[in-house]
Amino acid sequence: MKINKQAKREAKQLFRFCLVNGLLDENRVRNVVQHLVATGRRDCPAILAHFRRLVRLEIVRRTATVESAAPLPPDLRASIEAGLKRRYGPGLSTAFAQRPALIGGMRIQVGSDVFDGSVRAGLEALEKSF
Amino acid sequence: MIMNVLLLLMTQVTTQAVDSGPVERIATTFGVSWPQLLAQVASFCIVCIILYRFAYRPVLKMLDVRRQQIAQGLANAEQIKAELAKTEAQRQEVMARANAQADKLIEEARAAAARVRQQETAKAIAAAEQIMIKGREAAAQEHDHMLAELKREVGRLVVQATATVTGKILTPEDQRRLAEETAKQVAE
Repeated sequence: MKINKQAKREAKQLFRFCLVNGLLDENRVRNVVQHLVATGRRDCPAILAHFRRLVRLEIVRRTATVESAAPLPPDLRASIEAGLKRRYGPGLSTAFAQRPALIGGMRIQVGSDVFDGSVRAGLEALEKSF
Repeated sequence: MIMNVLLLLMTQVTTQAVDSGPVERIATTFGVSWPQLLAQVASFCIVCIILYRFAYRPVLKMLDVRRQQIAQGLANAEQIKAELAKTEAQRQEVMARANAQADKLIEEARAAAARVRQQETAKAIAAAEQIMIKGREAAAQEHDHMLAELKREVGRLVVQATATVTGKILTPEDQRRLAEETAKQVAE
């Protein structure tokens, strides 16, 4: 689907309307979508597509994925969450997952930022150096 | 008429001879008849004159003509011989010139062939050197490629072996230490 500049601009305005104190408000998002669908505008699908993309990027940006080779103890989890909140601010949702393929260590991804201290990453770097 | 005169003269001579000395007697003994002898001499002379006039002179003339022709032929032969010698000399000269020119051409051709051979040899040597250089470069490139491939493969095997071994070696304390290092990176 081709999205023109006008649709992008309107989607961006609607997305800004959905932010409350820099955080995405789910209710506002829902209302905006319902309102757009109710208007029946011709460019509604384009605006919704771009709006959806913006919302998805925001959700990803505000979600931290913590992967570790072994299960993390609760105190360490709390420490990691505190560190992430200090760095990215409040409203960040954190998901913990166990991934044995990492061999050892931990990998944290927040949006496009990646903190990889796993043994797997070290070995991959070593393999690339060859 | 001449014959009658001659016969009369002969008769008179014969009559006088009968009346003469020993010569006449010998002639009578041998049966010589002067008139007949004179007649025979006369007829012989006439025959001789006729023969000289109608046979001997034409034959001499013909022989003279033949002699002249032969002389002419000999002169022509001499001339032809001289011309032949001259022609032979000219031919020899032309042949000598042609031989000299041919020798010169052959020498020039040899020189040109030697020059072309040198040029072709130089070209062949240059081409061979180029081929050798390219071959060396290709071999070096292939060597580097194989070395890099080997390095990659060794690295892969090392990483694989390390990955297999490391998972078994790491203790829970090690895992915690590694996780804490990453947490410190986030907190900084």
